[in-house]
Amino acid sequence: MAPLGLTPAYWVVLGHAAAAVLLGHAFFRRYRVPRPPVGVFDLGDVALLLGAVVLAPLLYLVLPRWAAAGLLGLGVLGALLAVLEPVLGAARAPWGARLAWPAALAVLAADVAAALRPGAPAAALAVNNAVLVLAVVGVANLWAQSGLKARDAALLAGALALYDVVATAWLPLTDALLGRLAGLPFAPLVAWPGDPGGGLGVGLGDLLLATVCPLALRKAFGRRAGLTAAALAVATIAALLALLDLGLVRGTIPAMVALGPLTVAQYLLWRYRGRERTTWEYLQAEPLAPALASGPR
Amino acid sequence: MLLTGLAQLRLAASVGFGTPFALWSLDRLVDALLATRREFGAGAGGGAAETELLTGPALDEATRRDLQLRRFRQQATRGARETAYYGRRFAGLGLDPGRLTYADVARLPPTPKAALRDDPGAFVRRGAAAAVRTTTTGTTGRPTSVYFTARELEATAALSAIGLLVHGQLGPEDVVQVSTSARATLGNTCFARACARIGAVWALTGLVDPGLALAQLAEAHRVPGKKPRPSYLVAYPSYLGDLVELGLAAGLGPADFGLERIAAGGEIVTAGLKARARRLFGAGVAFDEGYAQTETWPLGGVRCAAGHLHFEPSWGLVEVLALPDAHPDAGAPADPGGPPAAAPGAPGVLVATPFVPYRDASVVLRYATEDAVRTLEGRLTCPLRHQPATSDVLGKLRLAVRHGPGPAGWTFPRQVLEALEAESLADAVPLPARCGFWAVPGGVAVEARVRPGYADRADARRAIGAQLEAQGVPLRALRLVEDPTRLRRPLPLRGDLREASFAPPVPPAPSAAADGAPRGVAAGAGA
Repeated sequence: MAPLGLTPAYWVVLGHAAAAVLLGHAFFRRYRVPRPPVGVFDLGDVALLLGAVVLAPLLYLVLPRWAAAGLLGLGVLGALLAVLEPVLGAARAPWGARLAWPAALAVLAADVAAALRPGAPAAALAVNNAVLVLAVVGVANLWAQSGLKARDAALLAGALALYDVVATAWLPLTDALLGRLAGLPFAPLVAWPGDPGGGLGVGLGDLLLATVCPLALRKAFGRRAGLTAAALAVATIAALLALLDLGLVRGTIPAMVALGPLTVAQYLLWRYRGRERTTWEYLQAEPLAPALASGPR
Repeated sequence: MLLTGLAQLRLAASVGFGTPFALWSLDRLVDALLATRREFGAGAGGGAAETELLTGPALDEATRRDLQLRRFRQQATRGARETAYYGRRFAGLGLDPGRLTYADVARLPPTPKAALRDDPGAFVRRGAAAAVRTTTTGTTGRPTSVYFTARELEATAALSAIGLLVHGQLGPEDVVQVSTSARATLGNTCFARACARIGAVWALTGLVDPGLALAQLAEAHRVPGKKPRPSYLVAYPSYLGDLVELGLAAGLGPADFGLERIAAGGEIVTAGLKARARRLFGAGVAFDEGYAQTETWPLGGVRCAAGHLHFEPSWGLVEVLALPDAHPDAGAPADPGGPPAAAPGAPGVLVATPFVPYRDASVVLRYATEDAVRTLEGRLTCPLRHQPATSDVLGKLRLAVRHGPGPAGWTFPRQVLEALEAESLADAVPLPARCGFWAVPGGVAVEARVRPGYADRADARRAIGAQLEAQGVPLRALRLVEDPTRLRRPLPLRGDLREASFAPPVPPAPSAAADGAPRGVAAGAGA
């Protein structure tokens, strides 16, 4: 047994969740993702996203497993490029960004190879977990740096909380989906095996919301709001994982039921205290380091 | 962001294939550009990716020619099938509009201005929901009418809004003063709708007494969220000249205005006019220059920093044809196939064919604009080098003078106006340059209005003559007058299309005169 009576799986999964939230925040303060030149992430995108969240699980359940893995792989590729282009571009300017594609494809290949390698589930999970953390950092930053408002992030989190109640607590949809995608490359679950037949995991969607909401709050209301939100998100995931690991709750917990209201409450609190900043105002107040801010707009 | 991506794809389909615009996609893009500006600041935009929204990607020469030929065929087919004028034309020529080659295009005689002026209905497509008839100002003759659909105007206004936002020329905080003729309905309507879409305040002051217009430019307003004074002026160059002359004479300066940009068009914009305007409105004032005319609207040219006029290939085909051997008013017989293309570096007449989907109700193919330009020689190095280009407009061909053989035997209005409006002549020649010129044996005679006391000054004559010769005018006689009514053949100026007003001009007071003494402006001073 590990410290506090919690299993190694708990610490591994929590470590990855914390890494996603913290790396997402650090990336947000250091790099500019290549956002679309026209348009911001607005309420229309939130509505489309919610539609996709409702439909995607159904699609994955009816698609052949290889097709589901292919779709997931395409999404992960886009997210990895969002991370790798600015990082490699800043590290090896001016040609570093060109390495993003081969690097991203190499990461994808590693995930596929690990998943297909027989008899090494822990290795496959280790690779997949790392890939998912990078993907979460990329997508969260793409949304936040594309102008996602804290208001819209709170709306998204609130709506997903309702959806999670239905899909996870009332219906067997989430369990069926995780069961079908388990073992596939790019399976959307940061997980680690525990006792035989056991283990712990955090869904990709939960991790994404836990990462992106602090970024939106940081942009909108400042450093304190962002860091508080990040700390609360990690603490919430830690508490939920502990409930499972200690056996206090069995089955699957709809994590958004906790993360959603928490985000909405934070938004309302900060909004009560002041107006939401635009990206321009945020960057004026908290400029990025010049050498790193010169990436693609 | 995702819906904006869809809207971009929809617009790209129209630009690439000539399918009709979907107004929802244009609206969505305007909203997205405004949201981008709000979120990321006024500096967001203007990059290559945003510019390609309107133009599509830069094309190589072969691809451009292929695209333009396909689009020409598309428009020619519509013209032949659906308009009375081109139905007759193609039947007479025995050409299949759907299979035209570039050689066939050259055989298609240019459409003369007179044909459109005499029967504008013959150019309207059967089934087109024509809703607006607009007319030209008729600077060089009887006004010409063109019909447009309401949808065309909506699309053009949205495209204008997108262009203004992409290039950072206008924002929701701007206050626009439009000092053009109130009868210029096409430009004014589209620009007003574009401003409204962006959220800028738009005021049509018209061509009232320049003193009144100047007072309105200087007047401060306290409208929440808007700049305190007009920041964007739309004016004909000659009327702008009136404003500049009046303002400088009254001792006004940059501190009295809030102007940031001036869109000057419809006439020749000279370097001297811009320099003198910057003395009044400030050195930082930017000029938006281009070329457009009612008959080929919305196909237009954009002036680059190198002074070329560039035409976006997906909007239409622009050709420069050789000038006639004789002056167009001389009644020389026209070449049945139309004149050949002008040689590199030679002057010629601009011939334009606007494409679908930009032009829908009225079809014009190879429309002879009667505007003279010069073709360019050598490889271009300017930022817009991937677009076809000509020199800036040299002036109306009907106002040009034929004084010798060959391409060099012409003198154009631009040469005379550039010389007379030069900043170095500001003491002698007031704005706008009022002048005339005509052929005399061996060259050109020029007459010009000068300030009181300058008509008989030898130094003024020498300076004016030197400027004209520096512009390539073969000067043989120079006549200077102080009273503009004594000009024998004055060039027409749009600024003279004055509109009456009940309001007496309110003189704007200078904010701080150099000598500390308050000075006022008398309406009409310097005119």
